Amino acid sequence: MISHWMDREGPVLPRETSAAPLDVVIGVMAFLAALSLGASLVSERTAESWRSGVAGRFTVQIIPPLDGTHALDMQREVESVVALLRATPGIMEAEPLSDADERSLVAPWLGNGALAPDLPLPRLVDATLQPGVRVDLAGLTEKLKTIAPDSVVDDHTRWISRLKRLADAIVWSAYAVLGLIGIATASAVMFATRAGLAAHHEIVALLHQMGARTGFIARAFEWHYFISALVASLAGAGLAAAFFVAAGGLEQAGLEPVAFLPPLGMHPSELAWLAVVPACTALIALTTARLSVMAALRQIY
Amino acid sequence: MAVAAFLAGQSFRSDVMLRFENVGMRYGTGPEVLRDVTFLLESGSFTFLTGASGAGKTTLLKLMFLSEPPTRGLITLFGNDLATTRRADFPAIRRRIGVVFQDFRLLDHLSAFDNVALPLRLAGRGPDAYRHDVEELLGWVGLGARLDAKPATLSGGEQQRVAIARAVVARPDLLLADEPTGNVDAEIGQRLIRLFGELNRLGTTVLIATHDRSLIERTRAGEMRLVDGRVIELRTSRP
Repeated sequence: MISHWMDREGPVLPRETSAAPLDVVIGVMAFLAALSLGASLVSERTAESWRSGVAGRFTVQIIPPLDGTHALDMQREVESVVALLRATPGIMEAEPLSDADERSLVAPWLGNGALAPDLPLPRLVDATLQPGVRVDLAGLTEKLKTIAPDSVVDDHTRWISRLKRLADAIVWSAYAVLGLIGIATASAVMFATRAGLAAHHEIVALLHQMGARTGFIARAFEWHYFISALVASLAGAGLAAAFFVAAGGLEQAGLEPVAFLPPLGMHPSELAWLAVVPACTALIALTTARLSVMAALRQIY
Repeated sequence: MAVAAFLAGQSFRSDVMLRFENVGMRYGTGPEVLRDVTFLLESGSFTFLTGASGAGKTTLLKLMFLSEPPTRGLITLFGNDLATTRRADFPAIRRRIGVVFQDFRLLDHLSAFDNVALPLRLAGRGPDAYRHDVEELLGWVGLGARLDAKPATLSGGEQQRVAIARAVVARPDLLLADEPTGNVDAEIGQRLIRLFGELNRLGTTVLIATHDRSLIERTRAGEMRLVDGRVIELRTSRP
């Protein structure tokens, strides 16, 4: 419990009234940092969901012959491929995609309108592996070629590796942005601390004169900037969290807030990660203020 | 008891509070404000520092309370040669010195109570430990009813009393005061001098810079006079 007399112990430094510009800068920095962090979390989760969606599966594609004939042959090839796959140990399931499914796959590029019936679409057979089982895809491909010469096996490796590279690039870009924002925040606080030291020069000189240890004076500054940065960055990170919540709400309502991007809505556990931003910002402010004050005090006799 | 004496080749003694040897001081590339200042203050002494305006009194005080380093010469304080003392030890040395500044230098955002309590806070004491001392002292200097007043609402004399209370509250080993009675009436002035005398009897070495000859004549304290940056006259205290 804070005693009555503790209440009477006034702050060594007067409460700032002119720190609003720094608060705005820190708030904006925290907003951008939280956006970057959120983007990296969403990217990681999306890449993982895509990866897990295609991992343990492969697709056999049967390319239609260029002469546009032999639809019946293609159907036979599909049936042979399905039979072979189902007979292969380690393959749990093999299903050809229906005509409607295939048309829905090309719909984003060709539209939902009626496709020409003679448009040659490849036939796809989706195979699911038993968990933890490895299948000799090279050998399987050779066998498939004997019964379906126009078949191609796609185990999604290329797709997954590209996806991983993309996700990694987004995550590392986000970390780089976070690092730059940290440096910018530290610079802003250093500048503000020096301005604060100049503004309170007489108080600092008096405290120094009266035998205050460097740490005592530094504490007065560092807590001031710690609280200030904490409040401003909470506001910035809160705004970013609101953005992600709103984006999630729009997505649930069937709207796409930002076209071509993966869903931006965040899970509550991911939103909680955004709290790292104000915590780190406040710590950066505290450390920077302390180091700045101690460096400045070393210049005084 | 001798309050001050020229060194004249004396070796350092343990009861010496402060010793200046051939100390010179100039600001930047300007002329020397203090020249070859040599004296010592014994522990428990009470001395007035006099001299015309511009004689170097304030500069001499600044050297004594470690506000500025000397340009040349040797200063020994509490047995520490300041030229070789680690900077990390300066705060502890400074806390043994109470200073009454000519311009008071109170913290405007703090109450009279908090201003006076500041040296005790710096010494690591908590509010519960210093509350009684601070209230009692503020009461003694006639400000018992103004504990929560901010300096801006106090008169010049009241501010001076707060500054004096702040300088003596931690019972420093050395008290340095620059014109401490300049803004108070005669009665309060006498009261403050009695306070300094009481502190001196408790063991604090006191040095007061003043123009007030009547103040000096009313006491048995010693006198050190500065003329053009040199100590030219020294009188020990009268028994």
